[in-house]
Amino acid sequence: MTLSTRFARSGQAPSTRPERSRGARSRQVRFWCHAAIVFAILVPRASAAQSADVQAGKTLFNGLCVTCHGFEGTGGAGPPLNRPKLTSAPTDAALRAIISDGIPDRGMPRVRRTTENELKQLVAYVRSLGRTAGAKATGNAQKGRDHYAKLGCAGCHIVNGQGGSFGPALSEIGRLRGADYLRQAILDPGAMLPRGTLPVPARGYQEYLPVRVVMKDGSEVRGVRINEDLFTIQIRDAKGAFHSIRKSNAELVRKEMGVSLMPSFKDRVAGADLDDLVAYLASLGGGQ
Amino acid sequence: MTRPVGATVRWPITTIATIVVLCGTSLAAQVSYQRLLKAESEPQNWLTYAGSYRSHRYSPLTQINRQNASQLKVAWAYQLRSGVVETSPLVADGIMYLTEPPSTVTALDVKSGRPLWSYTPSIPPDVIVIGSPPVNRGVALLDDSVYVGTVHGHLIALDAKSGIVRWDTTVEDNKHGFYLTLAPLALDGKIIVGVSGAETGIRGFVDAYDAKTGKLVWRTYTIPAPGEAGNETWGKGDGWKTGGGSTWLTGSFDPELNLLYWATGNPGPDWNADNRPGDNLYTDSVIALDPTNGKIKWHFQFTPEDVHDWDANQMLVLFDAQLGGRARKLLAQANRNGFYYVLDRATGEFLTGLPYAKQTWADGLDAKGRPQRKKGIAPSLEGTLVFPNIQGAANWHSPSYSPQTNLFYQGAREMGSVYYKGEAVYKPGTAFTGGGGRAVNGDDASAAIRALDATTGKLRWEFPLLSPGFTSLLSTGGGLVFGGTDEGNFFALDAESGKPLWDIQLGGTVRGIPMSYAVDGKQYIAIAAGVTLFVFST
Repeated sequence: MTLSTRFARSGQAPSTRPERSRGARSRQVRFWCHAAIVFAILVPRASAAQSADVQAGKTLFNGLCVTCHGFEGTGGAGPPLNRPKLTSAPTDAALRAIISDGIPDRGMPRVRRTTENELKQLVAYVRSLGRTAGAKATGNAQKGRDHYAKLGCAGCHIVNGQGGSFGPALSEIGRLRGADYLRQAILDPGAMLPRGTLPVPARGYQEYLPVRVVMKDGSEVRGVRINEDLFTIQIRDAKGAFHSIRKSNAELVRKEMGVSLMPSFKDRVAGADLDDLVAYLASLGGGQ
Repeated sequence: MTRPVGATVRWPITTIATIVVLCGTSLAAQVSYQRLLKAESEPQNWLTYAGSYRSHRYSPLTQINRQNASQLKVAWAYQLRSGVVETSPLVADGIMYLTEPPSTVTALDVKSGRPLWSYTPSIPPDVIVIGSPPVNRGVALLDDSVYVGTVHGHLIALDAKSGIVRWDTTVEDNKHGFYLTLAPLALDGKIIVGVSGAETGIRGFVDAYDAKTGKLVWRTYTIPAPGEAGNETWGKGDGWKTGGGSTWLTGSFDPELNLLYWATGNPGPDWNADNRPGDNLYTDSVIALDPTNGKIKWHFQFTPEDVHDWDANQMLVLFDAQLGGRARKLLAQANRNGFYYVLDRATGEFLTGLPYAKQTWADGLDAKGRPQRKKGIAPSLEGTLVFPNIQGAANWHSPSYSPQTNLFYQGAREMGSVYYKGEAVYKPGTAFTGGGGRAVNGDDASAAIRALDATTGKLRWEFPLLSPGFTSLLSTGGGLVFGGTDEGNFFALDAESGKPLWDIQLGGTVRGIPMSYAVDGKQYIAIAAGVTLFVFST
């Protein structure tokens, strides 16, 4: 389609130019006739090849990328990719580099090595996601901002410099996470804790993991894990106080997997209000 | 200034005597083959990669022991060049020889840590290193030379006193993906090396070089050519030509049997076996070679027709024990595929094999040690979850064997990968892997130091670790096992019980390989963490 449109426009171009000789014109006509034939042959083949790349890319994507980026690239624990511009991958070369090398510091692994052909297919598919209308958050972001304030989210989350730091910062969350993930995080925060958003702890560890420690003297510490090694664990409690614990001095160190210290908001926000809140979060950081 | 008659004679005699003594010291400082044969009898030194030809990574020194381990403290530290550090230092007669990333050799004063010389080969900026970080695991010493393999595919001999190059040989062209990370093995007048590069479709080999001249004495390919026994295990095509079978870790040697043992890596392409139907000999195997000519005397394959990148290059530990009512010469390996194997090292006969880490790919091993593979474990387009993960239950990191306890100590990684099959297109010097995998890491993975009865493979004790790093171990005559973690801990365990006796946070991932030495009657433990070498004493 794009190519034939361009051809039509080019075909009109001579009329705006000074009159040429008959011979020149007939040569020109012959040229465009040939060109039309060539295009007629090439265009369908090119687009067929392109769509084959998109299809093959989709198969690869559904194996390699979908766990974090969601089916159709709608996002999840990783950023949504169904948008025309990808901040970290403005060019195809940048996108290829990210797929080839990962962004280890941000929690994206190089899932596996890819051949040139596989890379081409993945890039074709990811770019195709940006051309189709993505599943937009349906709510009203402006109203969602009011819900955010009323529900007291700022007590634990920083947006644009304002708020508390007990939970993850949300200034860029719309760019980094998909709407489905944000909805789940509001309703069932323990279902999937953040990973790869902080420099420590590294290597895919769950961040903001609740830990309960009972010391040998009977005292108790509850908070989120900041870091951990084989013999020690570092914890921040709900008041923001920091605790350094030598595990051998503790009677019990229990990591509460599948739990978040963030309460579920499923009884406090629902329906259109929830859609609005999700839309607001999805809008942060130049998201949807 | 009056001198008694005869003084003019006496002084020169003293001088001559001094020179003679110095020469004597100098000669004694040479690391002869005879000394390498009896490396265990001079525990103050650490003369070869794994401490001895038997590859025990065991120090008989007893000064640091269960009673005083809690008093260990840093004696000195040395800052290395930046990069990933997986080095195992050697110590001979007051000098430590260690490697720095990617292929630098540095000599240090073992008492103070001050450098004496350093040599950095000229590595081209476009060097091809596919399959591992550009690391180096150590040098070999023989007579008055130090030998290092480099990431640009060279084997270089240096004068041990000055670091000046004696010879520089190209083992194989790096443009085709060959590179060296292993510590060479010095035998009688020969330097043995293997290569990395199976991820670029190389055909692996073991090489022997003349220690004096650097000339190739023999080369034995790990993949038989058409007409040679074993080539039929590659199907009818050309898959054998690009079939991998790297030889990237130092082998072991039995001088009585006159057998050199070398372990081999994965077939290529790693995760796509379409062009290599069959067992793919001698990948993922141990081969026993005649060191005089490189002839293969026997082989044993751990993972036939591998599609998970489970290189079998792990340390081959030689020990002798009673088995079935008679004394046997044994060879043991904790393999990347999750099984611990014991073989008769005279014949290659399989004796015992048990899983020592979580594995979900085999129901067990048959009477000949061949895995009974489960269905549905092959890499796929959509991904297949299998334990162990791509980097295996074991990898390059050193186990340790203590003759005191007859225990085999192994850093065992408990981790799965989602394995993918992909396209494989061979182009020299580029990745030829046919897929890959995503590790299931973070809180879903773990690890442990496992102490196995070396003869039976049965678990005696385990010490849980937080995450699966590359924990190399050292056991000692003081009844200790030393190891480290990804999170920067370095620690001593009781070798009998696994109870922790001492630990320190070193501030960098512990990927170094621990060793021990003594000087002036004092024992030291050395380990690299991050890019720093730490040396401890009590």
